[in-house]
Amino acid sequence: MRVIENPRLRAILRYGIPFVLIPALVALSAIVFEGQRYLIISLGIAVLALLLFMTGFEKRNIGARRMVITAIMTALAVFGRFIPLFKPITAICVMTAIYLGAEAGFFCGSLSVLISNIWFGQGPWTPFQMLGFGLIGLIAGYLSRVLLKSNLLLLLYGVIAGVAYSFLMDVWTVLWYAGGFDWKLYTAALLSALPFTALYAVSNVVFLLILRKPVGNKLNRIKIKYGV
Amino acid sequence: MRFEQLNPFTVAVYYLCVLGIIMFSMNPLLLCIALLTSVLSAVIGGTADKKAHLFSLAVFLIAAVLNPLFVHKGMTPLFFLNDNPITLEATVYGLCAAGMLTAALYRLRDLSKVMTSDRVLYLFGRFSPQIALLLSMAIRYTALLRVRWRKISDSQRALGLFDDGNLIDAVRGRARVLSILITWTLENGIVTAESMESRGYGTGRRTSYAVYRVHKYDAVLMIVCILLTALSAVGIYFSKAEFYPVLSMNLLNPWGIAGAAAFTVLSVLPLIINGKEAIRWRWLLSKI
Repeated sequence: MRVIENPRLRAILRYGIPFVLIPALVALSAIVFEGQRYLIISLGIAVLALLLFMTGFEKRNIGARRMVITAIMTALAVFGRFIPLFKPITAICVMTAIYLGAEAGFFCGSLSVLISNIWFGQGPWTPFQMLGFGLIGLIAGYLSRVLLKSNLLLLLYGVIAGVAYSFLMDVWTVLWYAGGFDWKLYTAALLSALPFTALYAVSNVVFLLILRKPVGNKLNRIKIKYGV
Repeated sequence: MRFEQLNPFTVAVYYLCVLGIIMFSMNPLLLCIALLTSVLSAVIGGTADKKAHLFSLAVFLIAAVLNPLFVHKGMTPLFFLNDNPITLEATVYGLCAAGMLTAALYRLRDLSKVMTSDRVLYLFGRFSPQIALLLSMAIRYTALLRVRWRKISDSQRALGLFDDGNLIDAVRGRARVLSILITWTLENGIVTAESMESRGYGTGRRTSYAVYRVHKYDAVLMIVCILLTALSAVGIYFSKAEFYPVLSMNLLNPWGIAGAAAFTVLSVLPLIINGKEAIRWRWLLSKI
């Protein structure tokens, strides 16, 4: 999937972000802000990381069919975010990733957050959520061979993804609130988020269990029938 | 032109400036102004209902209490709670952080009211047409899925295929509805893809439905926003606001006051623009 069409811009971003921009941001935070402004730095790094992943997808121009199916799965994930308490968003991203590839998983995760936040509220947390769900999809895509074979590992992946996402978002909560990282506040945030973490993990497992067979079969059928 | 009708770039620049200063300044004077003006614009603009105001109040109170309870830095203990000092410094910092959170939440609510999906698409389309297309299709399918869900579940219910009163039956019925929904939409999506390909998708540049031009007015406003932000940033730089270990503030020096004034103007800029339009409308009406 080629996201940025200009080849020169793509090359600049691809090598510039990890080797120039991110080190420069970290150095800037150390020198100019004396390590005070973690929030700006982490926000900058999240946006840059999103850009970096997007520039990575350049092998082929995506076909219209794969694109439409990715859009439908993204819409399903957005649709699922309206269900109270139990959110199937991770399960749908993982399913998309293991059947349609890592890029599709990345876009399903990050774009479904971007779209659903139009209703749930955009904010500086959006890049972090996009990165979190995008990575859940991307990694599931890379592990697709293993996850397709073993049901148990798939469910385990759901649990790990839920817990890891919660840990990542609490780092961000503490940074935004306290302006710097504080272990005590982080532990407090983690503890207060514990019910939600458990809920994430449980709903991931439940939805992976429910959706794995039927959705997997449907995606497989579409892939075979139309050669996506 | 009303503020909401400006070019999406101008609106995005404006909110980036305002939110940037709110979230990264931690200057008590500016945060007071930010909190007052964001509540004011939410009330005048009608972007927040009673529930939203109550929610913001709750956020403010919780955030203000949380910091002194968990952070015990600072030299001036107010009182002791379970042998832990509640310090003046941590309380003031907590109040500032709470003001920052609440003001930012109000502004973000305004932003999501102003930035409708077609404007988000316009902004993204500049960066990457592929992502813009994926986004627009996903937004379309989100609405379509809701309509189709209604259709399928109504027809299944009318056929008597599931009973809402029986929990197990209701869940199984919903699962069947979801299954039908996914099959239908995926098959239908292939038709869409076929249609796109036969109309020449991917053979040329994509054009966008909504055309927003950058008028002279937009450019001027963008420059004004950036200048005001720069002045506020200079004000923040020259005024000292340290919380720990002892509160030491120097907010009312000339630069600090100039920065605060610039930020006040920046904060009420949409109100000024919309107010000017309202006055002009009245004036033109009365002339007729």
